[in-house]
Amino acid sequence: MSRRNEQHPADLAGAYALDALNADDMAIFEAHLAESEEARIEAAELKDIAVALGLAVAPVQPSAAVKANLMAMLSSTPQLPPLPASRATSPAAMDAAASDPGATPAGPPAATATPGTEGAASTGAATTGAPRPSPDIHFGDASSTPRPSTATERAQTRWFKRPAQFVLAIAAAVALFVGGISLGQALNSNQFESQQAASLAQINAANDSQRAATTTVDGQEVTLVWSNTLGISALLVDNLPALPGDQDYQLWYMNNGGATSAGTFDSSGDGTVWRVLDGTMHTGDQVGVTVEPTGGSDQPTGDPIVALQS
Amino acid sequence: MLGLMTVDSAGDLAPPAPASKEELLVQVALGDQSAFGELYDQIAPRVLGLVKRLLVDHAQSEEVTQEIFLEIWQSAARYESTRGGASTWILTMAHRRAVDRIRSSQAGRDRDTKIGIRDLAVAYDHVAETVEVRIEHERVEKAMTRLTQLQRQAVSLAYYGGLSHSEVADKLQIPLGTVKTRLRDGLIRLRDELGVAS
Repeated sequence: MSRRNEQHPADLAGAYALDALNADDMAIFEAHLAESEEARIEAAELKDIAVALGLAVAPVQPSAAVKANLMAMLSSTPQLPPLPASRATSPAAMDAAASDPGATPAGPPAATATPGTEGAASTGAATTGAPRPSPDIHFGDASSTPRPSTATERAQTRWFKRPAQFVLAIAAAVALFVGGISLGQALNSNQFESQQAASLAQINAANDSQRAATTTVDGQEVTLVWSNTLGISALLVDNLPALPGDQDYQLWYMNNGGATSAGTFDSSGDGTVWRVLDGTMHTGDQVGVTVEPTGGSDQPTGDPIVALQS
Repeated sequence: MLGLMTVDSAGDLAPPAPASKEELLVQVALGDQSAFGELYDQIAPRVLGLVKRLLVDHAQSEEVTQEIFLEIWQSAARYESTRGGASTWILTMAHRRAVDRIRSSQAGRDRDTKIGIRDLAVAYDHVAETVEVRIEHERVEKAMTRLTQLQRQAVSLAYYGGLSHSEVADKLQIPLGTVKTRLRDGLIRLRDELGVAS
């Protein structure tokens, strides 16, 4: 075992490509990479070989749940801007834009004003697109004026298309729990929708995801799914009757401390309605539903139509 | 944005061939969910295949696959086509994630018993589903036969087993320095073999 102890950092290239370095050696090797062009080339080549090893493995089809979960999480998962290093194409222009965003460089104001002014609020697409440099803009070039507006239109089109795709994503996510469903009737805004869908997917993906089922006083099937580690739960009810306009269904977390409102919802009467409960679920909480005046009550005013023990 | 628009326009004019993974990544970077779905359909089985090869446990492998695709969604704007294809970017990320999972969790210990009784050759499943996979598989398998036994074992344990170089040294009972050089020499040999073949 008396091989030479001295190691050249270049010897780590193989282990690096195979993700087999520990943290210390990784630091040594990355320092080496920073210094040597030759080492960077070798590292890239060996990474490609590692990928070839990966491509030689037989594919395995994931269950449908993986994609459904992912699609449901996209809307609420922010996207990162490109790395600064990758957008150094036109540093001077970038600096100017960054240091004085209010100023319009000599040239058509449209170039700075048009993109992202409409529909930019809170969309992942807009925030991702925004920091991208536009190295190809030539001020005074007439063709540059219509282009940004087209880009904006495209971005908006994409965004407006989302609800439909999104509904499908929710459908897929919900279908994990129960078959044959009409959708999230309690949902009324995009943001609420995405939070709800993301939470539902989260519960489903949790290691300690659990469920309980029962029926309402009138016999409709009710399912509660929850995760104690996440502290969230969702209730799904089949064919829950529609209520008159002046009433809502209200959800409650109930324990020794009494009842805490967990949001309201309504139902169209057929299909499955579901709602992720507001607030935090504590281990052992009961979940109940009452009928309350529109907007909900501070405390339940009637008997629950259903109660489940988590 | 203009640079990307150009890509968009070109895509609009092109015949309706299925988009390449690289094109899809550009769309994903712009928040296009259906492009993400398409990219997923194209490469998820590859990702899960690789992850499961390392983690063995199916449920856990799906969990990691989900994490990998969320990372793809989040960091698509950081993919640089000049530095390699989309598959390279994604599989590199996938392998890294699988290895992280092994090192950070019970997974490593759980699967030790399984890996002990498992053959460490390239070919585990001879159910290569597509011609493409089969060809790639045979190419790599053939290249692997050109390595010395020690190189092959070290590379397999590190890449398919997810072992660190010191774990490889323990398992093969050879000095760490030897493992390092075997891993490097082995990959260089593979590079030469695969380079010739392609």
